[in-house]
Amino acid sequence: MKAAAFDYARPASGDEAVALLAAGAGMAKALGGGQSLGPMMNLRLAQPDSLVDLRAIAELRGCRRDTAGGVETVLIGACTTHADIEDGRFDDPSRGFLPRVAAGIAYRAVRNRGTVGGSLAHADPAADWVNAMAVAGADILVQGPAGRRTVAAADWLQGAFTPALAEDEIVLGVRLAQWSAAARWSYYKFNRKTGEFAEAIAAFVVDPALDLCRGLIGALDGPPRVIADARGLLAALQAGDPAAADAELAAAGLPPGSYEHHIHRAALQRAAAQLKGNA
Amino acid sequence: MNDKPTSPLALTVNGREVSAVVEPRTHLADFLREQQLLTGTNIGCEQGVCGACTVLVDGVPTRSCITWAVSCQGAEVRTIESFDEDETMAELRAAFTAEHALQCGYCTPGMLATARDIVTRLPQADEARIRLELSGNLCRCTGYVGLVRAIGRVLEARRQRNLVEA
Amino acid sequence: MNAPLAETRAQGIGVALPRKEDDRFMRGRGGYVGNIRMVGMVDVAFVRSPVAHGRIRAIEKPEGCEGAVYTLADLEGVQPIVANSGLAGFKCSAQPVLAGDKVRQVGEMIAMCVADNRAAAEDIAAQVFVDFDELPAVVDMLAARRAGSALVHEEWGDNVFLETFIDADLDDIRSKAAIKVSRKLRTARQSMAPMEGRGVVAHWDHRLGQLIVYTSAQMPHINRTGIAGCLGLDEGQVRVVAPDVGGGFGYKGILLPEEVCVAWLAIKLGRPVRWLEDRREQLTANANCREHDYDITAYADGDGRLLAVDCEATVDSGAYSSYPFSACLEAAQVGSILPGPYKMEKYRCRTWSVATNKPPILPYRGVARTGVCYAIETVMDAIAVQAGLEPWEVRMRNLVLPQEMPYDNITRKHFDSGDYPECLRRAVEAIALPAVRERQRRGEADGRRIGVGLAIFCEQGAHGTSVYHGWGIPMVPGREPVTLRLTPDGVLEIRAGVHSHGQGMETTLAQIAHEVLGIAIDKVRVLLGDTGITPYSTGTWGSRSIVMAGSAVGVACKELKARLIKIGAHLLKDEPAMVTWQAGAVVGPHGWKRIADIARTWYLQPQLLPADVDPRGLEVSTTYQARRDSGTFSYACHAVVVAVDTALGKVELLDYVVVEDGGVLINPLVVDGQVYGGAAQGIGTALYEEMRYSEDGQPLASTLADYILPGATEVPAIRIEHMETPAPYTEFGQKGIGESGAIGSPAAIANAVNDALRPLGVEINQLPITPRAIVEALAAASAASATQGRNA
Repeated sequence: MKAAAFDYARPASGDEAVALLAAGAGMAKALGGGQSLGPMMNLRLAQPDSLVDLRAIAELRGCRRDTAGGVETVLIGACTTHADIEDGRFDDPSRGFLPRVAAGIAYRAVRNRGTVGGSLAHADPAADWVNAMAVAGADILVQGPAGRRTVAAADWLQGAFTPALAEDEIVLGVRLAQWSAAARWSYYKFNRKTGEFAEAIAAFVVDPALDLCRGLIGALDGPPRVIADARGLLAALQAGDPAAADAELAAAGLPPGSYEHHIHRAALQRAAAQLKGNA
Repeated sequence: MNDKPTSPLALTVNGREVSAVVEPRTHLADFLREQQLLTGTNIGCEQGVCGACTVLVDGVPTRSCITWAVSCQGAEVRTIESFDEDETMAELRAAFTAEHALQCGYCTPGMLATARDIVTRLPQADEARIRLELSGNLCRCTGYVGLVRAIGRVLEARRQRNLVEA
Repeated sequence: MNAPLAETRAQGIGVALPRKEDDRFMRGRGGYVGNIRMVGMVDVAFVRSPVAHGRIRAIEKPEGCEGAVYTLADLEGVQPIVANSGLAGFKCSAQPVLAGDKVRQVGEMIAMCVADNRAAAEDIAAQVFVDFDELPAVVDMLAARRAGSALVHEEWGDNVFLETFIDADLDDIRSKAAIKVSRKLRTARQSMAPMEGRGVVAHWDHRLGQLIVYTSAQMPHINRTGIAGCLGLDEGQVRVVAPDVGGGFGYKGILLPEEVCVAWLAIKLGRPVRWLEDRREQLTANANCREHDYDITAYADGDGRLLAVDCEATVDSGAYSSYPFSACLEAAQVGSILPGPYKMEKYRCRTWSVATNKPPILPYRGVARTGVCYAIETVMDAIAVQAGLEPWEVRMRNLVLPQEMPYDNITRKHFDSGDYPECLRRAVEAIALPAVRERQRRGEADGRRIGVGLAIFCEQGAHGTSVYHGWGIPMVPGREPVTLRLTPDGVLEIRAGVHSHGQGMETTLAQIAHEVLGIAIDKVRVLLGDTGITPYSTGTWGSRSIVMAGSAVGVACKELKARLIKIGAHLLKDEPAMVTWQAGAVVGPHGWKRIADIARTWYLQPQLLPADVDPRGLEVSTTYQARRDSGTFSYACHAVVVAVDTALGKVELLDYVVVEDGGVLINPLVVDGQVYGGAAQGIGTALYEEMRYSEDGQPLASTLADYILPGATEVPAIRIEHMETPAPYTEFGQKGIGESGAIGSPAAIANAVNDALRPLGVEINQLPITPRAIVEALAAASAASATQGRNA
């Protein structure tokens, strides 16, 4: 199938992009790499009147390192591609976590064009960045007509394909704190075949220096379940007590005994074991 | 009754500067095939899954079916037709035919684009890595056996040459 | 005197020659239908039914676009597609090329929209309004068989295209059988999913007074007959060209309503018209395959010797009977080949071909053999468990033996040659069974469970007139034709009515010509796919081409050689008896004449020809039929080792061996490619591919992200070992093996997974074996054992 007709604009600045989106009155969509939007438009499941291509906006490219209030952070531009991250062509604050996640996204040709910002804006609960950024404790920077704001990645998904992003807002980038040398992480994704969207995602990030011990149950029907303090869960899982996960799995909306419950529990166990291995 | 929006587009296709007017909804594969008459880029799904339409955009493998032509403004696009004289591709072609890495040939242009990326980007790739990197290109004929062997053969030859040169 | 050339064996039968056709594909110069560009060509998009079953109340063409939209009412005189089975009791379905008063599947074509390009045609299609009265959808084949089901074709009174029954009295067997095993098995509906979809470009050639239809097809002559019939044209007014075809697998062995519509429109508009199937159309609207249900019981004695098989098999044939294979080929095959390579005393089998509100089914690589192999090999493993034997031991006790060949089995299949037990023995050896059993006993560090599975089967291929007549399909293959022609410079043109869609026949037919004539294969041109230049054939299907067309090439080359020898001897001033044929030349005591010398003489220096020269010249048309038309029987054993992750239900294939006997191999490289590719498709059948439907008949997979095809990480490095028992009835001893790979893999993998899960009390009896199926079965088993524990 071929996409329905649409107009196309390639603004040079975020302000211009936001103005174009606002003028589209809900029928304009921002375009990153288009690797998720393209298939949906080809199937005419999405039929925007216009696309606002963000790839020419310089401020959405590259990374910026800042220290504010004693915390060192890195802002990763929204138009950074998955392949940029996979190959380390960015300033990595995550001690290898983000490159590892990036390498598992879809296929290389998709990673070459797909962007972090685009994936976040698409807000597929089974995609990687919405989950990885949530467990990493990242902030997502957004610009709209009223200016800029920050959304905690853990709060990004309002529902499946529904980000905390207005129709006239764009993602500028993702800000992560610099993880310490003592940081450990794990990311376990279960899918039926390489490159397919996940059936289950589980992850842990531990950084004593940042007082961080988060867990995540992802690839759910809606937003991921972020476990802000995962110390107890992690210890129990590592001690070989899978039932310790049941409360969190229930909170994630997974009916006990269901296939989904089983695979998410297994993913959590494995993510916990991986973290142990990383130690 | 063509009242559909159009956009100007200037890019390089196989080393040639091209100026065109396209409907924004035209994806790169259709632009190459229907307007540039470069039919070597095959369309397999238009869903970004099968990899048959893989071409190089600014030197890297890209799904041309889910990339709008208009978003390739200023880009350098290379299709299978431009690799006749390419040494790496010649080596891959020889290995593909020796290992029977193609049958119906429909996935082949996309496979070669990906294969060339593997051998140039990942000189140390082993069989498992070749399979992983190839996983975004579907083939319904060969069971991937000949493809994996062919790419492995080229990688090995390149490693041997580098050893000799070193 | 030395021979002029000495390269005879380097390009002939048995040489793993790289393919002649590769170069154009590797340079992006393949000639697929979608690559055809014609001045003034317009594109078609179809309005397709969004409902599975409904009456059409009205179709409204969009205002201002009325002239660009065509419905059945516009297609005056166009006949529906009818594919009747000759078997008694068959109920006819007539498929209008655009829907009439009723739609019977999602995706059925309702209107044809034309515009300058496909996107614009889709814009128009999106505005066509169709008003339906929805009817209850018939989705499940077993429910469809029950009284009271909604009816796909009301005039039938039920939903059964055809019921067949091979009866036997099993009373004595039941009383003496120490072992009885029963299974209910199901295989999923699949999409064949060649990488290239179908596609049609049609135009009317005024000079020739001919409709030219380019179409991605396996059997262009059959398409021509069908198109001419539907449009009421003489066949002479229709030329069908199937150019390079991007994979077939059975999907392109059909007369398409799209072909008829596009051809009609090309005549109507007087300009070239194109339709290229997209992946969504392929997955949601067009033909599927493979959906079988088995209720099978096998009886054996205490030693695992098979006494009888009793089976009820149902095939979901979809809404219409497709031309030419009909809705009943699949079930007819089930009935006749279920016994597999085994001996038994009694056999009883009832089959139903059932109509549902789903796309028609077509025979996919392996046709019914894949499901049948899965069914019989599942019960063989079940017998092994009951008898306390290794699965291979049970098989070994039941296989037809080499000294019994040729062997007529219980359904009168004539197994031509081979050593089935040796094939099994070699597969068991190659998979290193004792080491796998030891590994199972040891257990895995990562907790996965190891299993090993086998499947052995034989593949009837290249079967001819009597077999297909017996199966009742409207197209019965006869003698296979081929035409040879030498050009004045000595190039051999081979014109054959079969087609190549990856099988490499431009190379393998040339190899056969080389074998007989010694002609270098780059001096052989193989012309296929064009009804204008090739002799009428049923085309390429049923693992028949290298047997039928390959043999025909051999026979024709021998005839041509005789004529060349006669002329050559005359030119050498020798008696024909004094000369020999060596490496592409007539060699006599005083010199030689190459093919090119003789060809030049025939065309340009006829004054030098002998007075009694054969007047038919250097063109040979002949036909071939095997000495028996019951088909070749290649056979193979697949052995596979799996690791099952019981927590996630994921199956990894750790090792995969195929021991295959395809008779004399024309080109081992090509044969291996067929086996690898088939096995990969079988891996899809076993673990991934599933075309599911909702309760109201909506297809649930519309993209390749939902319909999962195996990729490079899902297919292991398959190992092949060959046996080469010549076929007794074919020209060179070759057998058909094109479908083989796809037949054995689902059964072998299913048996391996069940071997891994057996200690946990679980057996999966459906394909594909998904993570969900494994996890849910294990959960149910553990819940049941917990309940038992509580009750105990």
